[in-house]
Amino acid sequence: MSIKELSKSFPVKKETLKVINSISMEIASQEFVCILGPSGCGKSTFLKILGGIIPATSGNLILEGEDLGNQIPAQALKKFGFVFQNDNLLPWRTAEKNLSLTLEVMKLKDEKSKARIPEMMEIVGLQDYMDVFPHELSGGMRQRVGIARALVHNPEILLMDQPLGALDAITRKMLSYELLSIWKKTQKTIVMVTNNVEEALILSNRIYLFSPLPAAIVKEFQVDIPFEERNPEIVGNASYRSLRDEINALVRTY
Amino acid sequence: MKPTLSKHKKKDFKPAAIIAPLVALALLYGALEIIIPLSGINRIVLPTPTAIIKVIAEAFAADIWPHFIFNVKVIFFGFLIAVPFGMLLAAICSQFNIIVKAVSPYVILLVVTPMITLIPLIQLWMGSDPDIRILVVVIQCTPIIMLNTLTGFTTVEQSKLDLARSMGASKLQTFIKIIFPNAMPQVFTGIKLGCIFSTIGSVTADFVFGMQGLGFKVQQATKYVMTEVVYGSIILIALIGFILYKIVALIERRIIVWKK
Repeated sequence: MSIKELSKSFPVKKETLKVINSISMEIASQEFVCILGPSGCGKSTFLKILGGIIPATSGNLILEGEDLGNQIPAQALKKFGFVFQNDNLLPWRTAEKNLSLTLEVMKLKDEKSKARIPEMMEIVGLQDYMDVFPHELSGGMRQRVGIARALVHNPEILLMDQPLGALDAITRKMLSYELLSIWKKTQKTIVMVTNNVEEALILSNRIYLFSPLPAAIVKEFQVDIPFEERNPEIVGNASYRSLRDEINALVRTY
Repeated sequence: MKPTLSKHKKKDFKPAAIIAPLVALALLYGALEIIIPLSGINRIVLPTPTAIIKVIAEAFAADIWPHFIFNVKVIFFGFLIAVPFGMLLAAICSQFNIIVKAVSPYVILLVVTPMITLIPLIQLWMGSDPDIRILVVVIQCTPIIMLNTLTGFTTVEQSKLDLARSMGASKLQTFIKIIFPNAMPQVFTGIKLGCIFSTIGSVTADFVFGMQGLGFKVQQATKYVMTEVVYGSIILIALIGFILYKIVALIERRIIVWKK
């Protein structure tokens, strides 16, 4: 996927507020890319544009060589799965029915698609919780159902908007390693928005650091930490420490 | 870890919710049975509960039953029309923000206008057929059901609409799968208010139309100082509204499992 000079502005009273300022990036297949930036910098807005939720004011989105203009059209959304910050499960549907919502909306009625519901629930470790309502699940479990829902239609790209942001510190850490294992199992291209430097380093191949409003790319970091070293002992990794210190030093200048 | 049976499948039977009001009723009944004769209150002002039950039981089949069943019919059919009608109006209005803005003040105006002031006009336009009272119930109930449903339809969290957009949902899919079920708690609030309003509408119509209904019976019995019948009729009217409310609340508990 390519993003070319993407900009977004919102009308605020009689003025125009620029939220995203000419962002361009390339995302390769099966990559795990993290968008890192301070709160309110416009990184979630950027992800919403990638997910077809809102259009960009200008710029181009290019998917598999096809220029889609400034908004992902509805028919192309099957290629994307979106994970929201606050799980965003529908409380009147069980976990299973929350997953089947995606299939219903996308009119994927074949047996193969339906079989992906228990498959995805198993990938997130909740195969025994199919008939359970969201209010009966913990915050971490709800977020895992949210991830399963985003994967159920077998998208090519998974977009995650601070998926661990609303969780407590312990669950957050646990789930970040689970995300890594989900990425390994599913081999999806993942673009994740976060404001946590450590999280971005544990998970991603590449990090784009965004500036405060209007968001622009400050720097791109290549994270060359081998997959097998991404575990709770990662703090001892020299590459991890140097990248963390470099990013933190840059963030402190904001 | 295998989870325990989902909570929604368990019967949440709470004996205290049934026993406590029954005990309160028995205590009130007993207290009135003792206090009324001891204080020497005239039966014309306040008869004992036993006297009310005795008179109503004696008069029920011949005198009370036709009026009772008439009110049940008027409330039931009025309610049955008002619920889908109110929801349909809300669904149409919710599609166009300008319509919501245009009609909301007038719907509120209709809700707050006392029905008793409109019934003579309805009688003037439509005549005195007893079944016209169903229309009174519809006019009384529809605005309150519509208003609540409309609130439900127009106050959807942005994140849920974003979810629909992220899946490429059409406007119709978004309404059926997100907006409508999301509005169910408010829809039921409207329907429950509709239960109360339908009883009020039906009895108010009896007072103006006369000839039939428990409202008419209250008027008639008051005139002939049949106080036991007055109290009995009032209790029966309240019972119709109460049972209707309880049926709706039961359905609500079955449907809105996530708000328990």
